[in-house]
Amino acid sequence: MSMIEFHDVQKYYGQFHALKDINLEIDEGETVVLIGPSGSGKSTLVRTVNGLESIQNGSLIVNNQDLSSPKTDVNRLRTDVGMVFQHFYLYANKTVLENVMLAPRIVSHIPEDENRQRALSLLKMVGLESKAANMPSQISGGQQQRVAIARSLAMRPKLLLFDEPTSALDPEMIDDVLQVIKKITSDSAMTSLIVTHEMGFAKEVANRVIFMDDGRVVEDDDKTEFFRQPKTERAQQFLSKIITH
Amino acid sequence: MQNWINAYSWMNIRFLLMGLEVTVLISVVSVLLSFIIGSVFGIIRYSRIKYLSAVVGFIIDIIRNLPLLLIIFFTYFGLPNFGFKPETIPAAIIAMTVFESMMLAEIVRSGLNAVDVGQMEGARSVGMSFVQALWYIILPQAYKKMIPAIISQFVSLIKDTSLATIIVVPELMQHAQVVYGQNANYILPMFAALAVLYFIICFSLSLLGNFIDRRLA
Repeated sequence: MSMIEFHDVQKYYGQFHALKDINLEIDEGETVVLIGPSGSGKSTLVRTVNGLESIQNGSLIVNNQDLSSPKTDVNRLRTDVGMVFQHFYLYANKTVLENVMLAPRIVSHIPEDENRQRALSLLKMVGLESKAANMPSQISGGQQQRVAIARSLAMRPKLLLFDEPTSALDPEMIDDVLQVIKKITSDSAMTSLIVTHEMGFAKEVANRVIFMDDGRVVEDDDKTEFFRQPKTERAQQFLSKIITH
Repeated sequence: MQNWINAYSWMNIRFLLMGLEVTVLISVVSVLLSFIIGSVFGIIRYSRIKYLSAVVGFIIDIIRNLPLLLIIFFTYFGLPNFGFKPETIPAAIIAMTVFESMMLAEIVRSGLNAVDVGQMEGARSVGMSFVQALWYIILPQAYKKMIPAIISQFVSLIKDTSLATIIVVPELMQHAQVVYGQNANYILPMFAALAVLYFIICFSLSLLGNFIDRRLA
């Protein structure tokens, strides 16, 4: 069963052609890592999957719902599609616990007790139970990102999108966040699409690697294949640069 | 000296206080109404609703760039031509509310724009509707940022109620004019009394604003 299907998708920002002829199929349970130079359209692609960016042409089907159709209830779709942002975007006016509990309460109408239990156990899973009463501004970036992950998991999504989840973090915070993501993606029922520059991490968690350049999917490969010997010259170039760094 | 003592006779003071009462009445009602209308207009302009936001933006821009005095005149002398003839106090309230709502609307819009767009994206990404995101996440943060600007707008609203004297609303300024109209020696004492009374109301509102600001920080 496929979770995400791109058919000839085009995306423009005004004159700028951000996504070109995207054709992709991602199956349920897959962990797909999206890599490529900056400006290649990785983030844009991920953001189209939960409707944060609209597409201009082609069709995009996520969790059996057609995002290119105006009839699709995007809010409903998003309850099944979690998103973790580069800059976390925790609600600045809510405590850590409230950040996790708010959407299940007002969107899914989960009973308060059950919601609290679930939120606390998610915070425990990301190692931040003790920070439940803190405001987001009082905890570190790495901790904020782990709360953001707990927040998206609280909706029990089938698909999780990660848009450079560690790019805004101090080096020593990155590992904690990656450990949490690893834990989540190891669950075989969860589908994830991860934009990252952490090649070691990509090697470890991915089933599949998609390499993008200039708005196009340049290479779409099994993980081992990709890291052993990328087919395209562009991907080889990219990898060699990253490794020599 | 004797002029000052006579000027502040109980009868005159009581008359000033009656004017003060009307000033406070106009201010409180206009503050409440313009807060509500200004918020609605500001949110509509922020929300980029097709056509509606543009129409509201157009109205805001026009009214904001007219002198308040003209709006007061229009409400009292112009509206009767359209079959609606308000008394002086309601006319003053309508004029103040129309003008101040538009000022508030711009404060509300800029306050909403000052909230990081990521807050909206974070809220939408878990399935909240635009209205839910606005209500639970964006508005609370925006109003917190807006408090100083809103308070200072209300302070000018209170001072601007004195303009209503032009259509003979029996407010503080007008009552002072009545008093010194009877005796030119009372002019300075009445100006002093006006200064003190306006200062007390406006300054206490500023203090209240600071207090709220500190409580929320």
